[in-house]
Amino acid sequence: MVNYGSYALRSAVITVSWIPVILTFTEHVCYVAKIEGSSMRPTLNPTDSFNNESDWVLLWKFNLKQAKNWKENDVVLFKSPSNPKKVYCKRVKGVQFDQVKTRSPYPKDTCLIPRNHLWVEGDNVYHSVDSNNFGPISTGLALGKAVKIVWPPSRWSADLNMSEGRGDIKVFPTMEHS
Amino acid sequence: MSWLNIGSYVVRTVCLIHITHTHFYEFTETRGESMLPTLNRVNDYVHVLKWYKDGRDLKMGDCIVAMKPTDPQSRVCKRITGMEGDLILVDPSQEDDEEAYETFIRVPKGHVWVTGDNLSHSLDSRTYNSIPKGLIKGKIVAANDFSKPLSTFWGFREITNSYFDEK
Repeated sequence: MVNYGSYALRSAVITVSWIPVILTFTEHVCYVAKIEGSSMRPTLNPTDSFNNESDWVLLWKFNLKQAKNWKENDVVLFKSPSNPKKVYCKRVKGVQFDQVKTRSPYPKDTCLIPRNHLWVEGDNVYHSVDSNNFGPISTGLALGKAVKIVWPPSRWSADLNMSEGRGDIKVFPTMEHS
Repeated sequence: MSWLNIGSYVVRTVCLIHITHTHFYEFTETRGESMLPTLNRVNDYVHVLKWYKDGRDLKMGDCIVAMKPTDPQSRVCKRITGMEGDLILVDPSQEDDEEAYETFIRVPKGHVWVTGDNLSHSLDSRTYNSIPKGLIKGKIVAANDFSKPLSTFWGFREITNSYFDEK
């Protein structure tokens, strides 16, 4: 019986010692996230299902502070600039040094995106709080890149690039900035 | 003990240290002249509390560590000199024209205005505008200077809030 007790204690300590490893993995490599709201319709949460089933996506988080790992039409989850406790899910419509056409309520017609910033918009253009409200966001706010829908199973085959919101909004898509 | 075993201990220790550093407490080196005279240009080490991550419970005058918005991989130490809703007069000393005295910025919701203590050698909100609270990593509560003798606890001193404590 004595051995049994020490065995239990030993197992508990070993289990606890792996918790930081799991946390590090979920913070820097990959994790899942639940998508709420309709701003990414029709790509994510395409219908108001009667039992309120939301989409869950697989988030890729590795090395996202670097702007070169972001490209147009990636789906990004990021901390809201106006409230760090809130997480928004939008589509990247422009990366650093791009110039994009904006939409009301943004005060200017075009916006030149600063270094290490992203221009983000929802696919459901008219029901979305995005960069047109708060301007380009720093890549430091990004939490992850949505790469795949993992739940519910009926949505496994869904394509995350099925809609591109307002399409190509870059002003000089081929112009070189450096 | 096999190499696999040693490797597993190393991984667990490194991850434990990393999680402590991101969520609880960090002791780290600082460099640069932007926080003179509060922090030295070299040799200073700061104690950072991570409870204040994402701008939680922060006040005007607190010293913070944040990700630089234009380069999130580097971190900056600054002091909060404006909270959300404040109206900021952006440094008129840099330019000669009178208009600079009439340039004001309203700090948006969820943002803070940060400047270095050494205003003439600091790259801060005056260049990259107010920063979102989501970029804040923690609050600096104390600092050590290891070039000082042991009798003074290696130059240990508290970093105080310059707005509320020193008034």
